[in-house]
Amino acid sequence: MTTLQVGDEGYPACLRQIHDPPARLFVQGRLPAEEMIAIVGSRRATPYGLRVAYRLAADLSQCGVVVVSGLARGVDAAAHRGALSGPTPTVAVMATGLDRIYPPEHADLAAQIARTGALVTEAPDGTPPLPSRFPVRNRIICGLSKGVVVVEAAARSGALITANMAGREGREVFAVPGSIENPLTEGTHALIDDGAKLVRDVDDILEEFPTLARVHARARTYASARADRYAHARADSGPQETALRDVWELLDLDIPRHHDEVATQLGITAAELNRRITVLEMGNYIIGDAGGLRRRGPAS
Amino acid sequence: MGGTVLARALCGTLFGLDGVRIDVEADIGPGLPAFHIVGLADRALQEARERVKIAINNSGVDFPGQKVTVNLAPAQLPKEGCGFDLAIAVAILSASGKGHLPDGAAWLGELGLDGSVRRVRGVLPIAAHLTRSGATQFYVPRDNMAEARLGTPHPVHGVRDLQELVAHWESGNSLAADAPAPGGSVAPPEPAYDLADVRGQATARRALEIAAAGAHHILLIGPPGAGKTLLARALPSILPPLPPAESLEVTAIASCVGLLPPGSGLLVEPPFRAPHHNISAAGLIGGGGAVPRAGEITRAHRGVLFLDEVTEFRRDALEALRQPLEDGRVAVARVGGHAVFPGRFILVAAANPCACGFAGESGRCRCTPLDRQRYQARLSGPIRDRIDLQVLVPRLPAAELLGASAAAESSAVVRSRVLAARGRQEARRPIGPLNGALTGAQLRRDARLDDPGHALLEAAADRLHLTGRAIHRVLRVARTIADLEGVENVDSTHLAEALQYRDPA
Repeated sequence: MTTLQVGDEGYPACLRQIHDPPARLFVQGRLPAEEMIAIVGSRRATPYGLRVAYRLAADLSQCGVVVVSGLARGVDAAAHRGALSGPTPTVAVMATGLDRIYPPEHADLAAQIARTGALVTEAPDGTPPLPSRFPVRNRIICGLSKGVVVVEAAARSGALITANMAGREGREVFAVPGSIENPLTEGTHALIDDGAKLVRDVDDILEEFPTLARVHARARTYASARADRYAHARADSGPQETALRDVWELLDLDIPRHHDEVATQLGITAAELNRRITVLEMGNYIIGDAGGLRRRGPAS
Repeated sequence: MGGTVLARALCGTLFGLDGVRIDVEADIGPGLPAFHIVGLADRALQEARERVKIAINNSGVDFPGQKVTVNLAPAQLPKEGCGFDLAIAVAILSASGKGHLPDGAAWLGELGLDGSVRRVRGVLPIAAHLTRSGATQFYVPRDNMAEARLGTPHPVHGVRDLQELVAHWESGNSLAADAPAPGGSVAPPEPAYDLADVRGQATARRALEIAAAGAHHILLIGPPGAGKTLLARALPSILPPLPPAESLEVTAIASCVGLLPPGSGLLVEPPFRAPHHNISAAGLIGGGGAVPRAGEITRAHRGVLFLDEVTEFRRDALEALRQPLEDGRVAVARVGGHAVFPGRFILVAAANPCACGFAGESGRCRCTPLDRQRYQARLSGPIRDRIDLQVLVPRLPAAELLGASAAAESSAVVRSRVLAARGRQEARRPIGPLNGALTGAQLRRDARLDDPGHALLEAAADRLHLTGRAIHRVLRVARTIADLEGVENVDSTHLAEALQYRDPA
């Protein structure tokens, strides 16, 4: 563990510019020197939100951008995991002391992050997860980042507060759109309405930083690999065989359907459906889990 | 009276599920009037003194006004219960001058104060054991005659009360030896639950059919009210009737634990047991005091053990299921010795998907992923490892519940397919086991795969991270699916279906 005072050489320059930079930072691991972008969002994100957070973070990591987030459940964890799937380290800003990983089930994730990137906090060792610590933590997330991407946030949520803070500090604000029926898009759609940049893929983010030549060069070489990776998300990417396609077409990316529903709609037996499902699973077309059957999206 | 008079009567009791021979000796000697029972008798047996004394007095015979001592041999074996009353009474009557007891006669029954002879437990296995150890005729309560006849080929006399017995003795009046026995076996009752009552649930019905055909354990996961209990209760209705040997075994167990209806003969329907989730480990697998008692797994032997809300069961109780799930029996050691109880049953476990029960229903579940993990962990790996089939039972849309869907197949139709599949298994392995209990080595012979099958299983093991045990589960289920289809070779279509009944977590 290292301690950085606000005057130290290694103290992030970006963070020094906000109006109340933390006097000292506790760091476990190594704080990367590359440009950072934050990805934040709901702790109770939908599968769609988790997928998008993972995918954007993975792409940013491929392009050499450090993803910053808050180690929380939901979008935060998906963003860290996405970033870890690429070559660039990721940074987790915590509201607790370095010895108190919260939530506890993210202990492994935190250890993985610290191996190449860093865990950062303003709170001394032993600080428990106090509600008052979280907004304070959010200001560090903004301070470290050139921009903040919000993936699913309810009205008046912590992620929304972070985004508004970022706006005041002159950082770029991005928001991922979603379904208007999902309450977790109220915040993101409100941000877009207020002038936040709408994000469809990583290029929408990188566009706002034309001076990052190194990042853009990497983004170009990575473009074709990216297209392949997301092929499954497109509507024309299903299985070719009719029997399998019939099943695949009835499934959604987000909302799981139970076997019986699909079998009834196709007029086939449970035995026959189960046979087809295995083949579809083996072909990476669908996912079956405790909730039911879904189409497989990228990175899920 | 000068010297002492001694009489012996043959009796029996249970140790675990086995009959044990007990010799009842009565001695009437000089001394102040007294009545002692010796030979490791428990509380209920000590009270036999009062019952026997009053019953004899109320039967028109005077209880001897001398020192009466009754010994139960072998003396070191702990004895309990009321089944010795009749033997004690006849031994005393004989010693007090009513003459010799008939040769080779065994006496079983409890006495009421009016001298009536009441039914006792375990008559079938006790009669069978005493026959092997030399008894040649049996005096039993009338309600136990039918089961006694299942246990012995020798004459069985039904005794209504002591008076009748005394008259039989003195004047040769006949007892109910030839009274019409209530049938060799009871006609199978209409099953109370039928698969036709289960609406929708095509996947769960299919899994239940596979479970019945191969005797596989099954886990039903679904929200409250989805119909898991109804499915479980319908399982006995699609199981084959018990073959004669198993029927006798099940009847003997029912007799020992007091589950046999009065006057009942052979039971032919597989048993169904659904213990409540607060049951102790001893209650579930057997245990108890000095004399070991059979638990629920033994009551469910050759039938179905249903554990509803399985995650609510005590952890030690669930862990105790490991041995019976593996071996089909359980060994219980107690002060008086060591008993082995059979327990080969189909386990049907039902669980909610998470603590609140609504996982998978968008918006209704309030559990965090950690909550869900903890909840799932309550059903430990070693138990899950022994459950071949796991299915999700969803809550049905209202339209289906109201009967909009076509009428479902009845149990009778499904049972005929199960019977055919069992037939194929018996042809392959005449002495068993059924598919649900095949070991890895046996599977290599019985579920040999062709090349596409091999390729599929290998790919699935890789992609779905299947462990060795999981692969065996898939092969066992695939074997049963092939048997249901009526084909000898397990191919990739069977495997493909079987792979869907694996752990959905």
